[in-house]
Amino acid sequence: MVKADFLTGVVLIFLSLYVIIESWRMPRLEHLKVHPLSVPGIVPSFIGMVLLFFGIILVIRSIRRGGHHLGFTSEGLRRLFNNSGNQRLLLTAFLTIGYAGFLIGTLPYWLATGLFIFVFIVLFEWGQGTNGARWRRCILPAVFISILSSAAITLLFDRLFLVSLP
Amino acid sequence: MNVLIDNLGRFLGAIGGFITPLALFHMAWSTLLGIIIGALPGLTATMGIALITTLTYKLPPDLAILVLICVYVGAIYGGSRTAILINIPGTPANAATTLDGFPLAMQGLAGRAMGIATTGSVIGSLIGMFFLATIAPILGNYALKFQSFEFFWLAIFGIVISGHLTALEDPIKGWIAGFLGLLVAMVGQEGIHAYERFSYGTTELLGGFALIPAMVGAFGFAEVLSVMQNPPPERADKPHDSILPKLADVARYWRTIIRSGLIGTLIGIIPGVGEDIGAWVSYAAARRKSKEREKFGKGSIEGLMAAETGNNAVVPGAIIPALTLAIPGSAPAAVLLAAMFIHGLRPGPLIMVESPQFVYQVVAMVFFATLAILIYGVGLSRLLIKVLAIPRTRLMPVVFVLCAIGSYAITNRTFDIWVMIGFGIAGFILRQMKYPMAPLVLGIILGDLMDKNLRRGLVLTDGDLTSFFTRPICLVLWLITFSSILLSIDPLRHALQEVFHLVWSRTRRFLSFH
Repeated sequence: MVKADFLTGVVLIFLSLYVIIESWRMPRLEHLKVHPLSVPGIVPSFIGMVLLFFGIILVIRSIRRGGHHLGFTSEGLRRLFNNSGNQRLLLTAFLTIGYAGFLIGTLPYWLATGLFIFVFIVLFEWGQGTNGARWRRCILPAVFISILSSAAITLLFDRLFLVSLP
Repeated sequence: MNVLIDNLGRFLGAIGGFITPLALFHMAWSTLLGIIIGALPGLTATMGIALITTLTYKLPPDLAILVLICVYVGAIYGGSRTAILINIPGTPANAATTLDGFPLAMQGLAGRAMGIATTGSVIGSLIGMFFLATIAPILGNYALKFQSFEFFWLAIFGIVISGHLTALEDPIKGWIAGFLGLLVAMVGQEGIHAYERFSYGTTELLGGFALIPAMVGAFGFAEVLSVMQNPPPERADKPHDSILPKLADVARYWRTIIRSGLIGTLIGIIPGVGEDIGAWVSYAAARRKSKEREKFGKGSIEGLMAAETGNNAVVPGAIIPALTLAIPGSAPAAVLLAAMFIHGLRPGPLIMVESPQFVYQVVAMVFFATLAILIYGVGLSRLLIKVLAIPRTRLMPVVFVLCAIGSYAITNRTFDIWVMIGFGIAGFILRQMKYPMAPLVLGIILGDLMDKNLRRGLVLTDGDLTSFFTRPICLVLWLITFSSILLSIDPLRHALQEVFHLVWSRTRRFLSFH
């Protein structure tokens, strides 16, 4: 956590500096004769300064606890990727972002949705049980749930809520 | 007296208005859905309200808010079932429930524990509801006197207190989350000169980040990711004893119930401090005052009652500032507030002037939701256990599909799906690093309020800061805000404690002499 705090602190410092510079560059609207204290940049720069202060505290605090020794090793990275929780996380992120970011809009909505749910269930449940049981315990429920959910959600939003689906 | 009769009349009128087949139908399904959402680990009240908001676009405003309040009350109650049966809080609000609920279940008293949770939740909601009906109109009228200075400090006070209380171990993370929320709210056209900040000419960001997709991401998608990362929970057992609530429990622990209800309501009113804190504070207070302190953590009826009364009392409490100041008392109330804006309702100081009836409609909604959890609490047991058995690998893809289409459906923009994904990933990473989400959401909601009121205040006084610090309410707000920050600095706190002890011991010695 100390290393993560160090990195967050650094990111926060850069982010807040960016915000402060951008706020400074915002127009002062002098030609409109607006009050100099009502200009658009004043509040973002205030928020930027508060975040800069917190970022500096976070960095100093984590340096005191040795958080700046990041010590990335290939062994550490390998352990990170071999962790089953992280593998599930990456697979979930890949499938969900792939579906919402790319599949929707490329395929018809009902097909994209059905396909996503089916693949999600099969990929996560494939490892459970033997070959014979896979059909009964994994593929069939996946087909059933994906068709049912896709049809229900499509009908609900398309027909009932009159949303023009992507 | 006349005011009281008027208000009672409005409340009864609102109750009567909802006794229609359509309203009762919406109450029935939404409370049940709320309970199921609450009971499923990984689906929280905030996520539930954000997702269901996307299903209410086509409903009339009063029915839409009714549905959302039923989901809210139902979810906070539903989480207790999971806490009792499988030792996992269904929502963060039920974390304190696991301490005594699960040991009771292990002693074969799962049914009794669920009965106590039902009783506590119902009475907690009713106590909160009473204060919603009585405090909201007073606060609403009082808030009419608030000027820019007060609203600026209310926003900062909300962020700092919420940041502190939701990240007690490391308050700086709570404050960072809150100020990041404020920063997010800066994106898009500002409210005074209509300048487009941080949008770089993109039309999609002209109005800033849309609230519902951002929240669906931060609470929905982020939750999907963390549920899938964690190892699967164990399955639930069927209770063997009766789940009917016992009046004897209420009679025996009435002091604890009332105290927890009051604490819950008060915690609810504090901006951005939600049901989880309400439950913990009620639980801690009950343990301190209890005659059976040794039973706490080993299956104490009193502890369970305190936690469940405390968390449900927060719900109406959190709605009080949302309605009267447009400042949400908790994360789910923040989404509820956003939903009210979407439906064209205008919560805020003018509510008691423009639509006092709406306040009482909300009270009636809480009343019906409470009634519904009582009915489901007594009648529903097997269905919930079946729901708990749904594997997450089948539930999460469907939840994510709803996150995506729900974000898209508000304005039919694919861009909002990307907003949901972005906030989901950011929310997940921040949560992994122990940054609380409630202050972030509060920041997003309060950003505009703070922005306008700081600048208006500065223009009104021509840059003189005196009014910001000397007006009575401002004085109280900034004193609490700064004390909260200063007291979280360890050396300073220790020094203050020493000074306090020194003064106290000298005073005692002085008094004993005379």
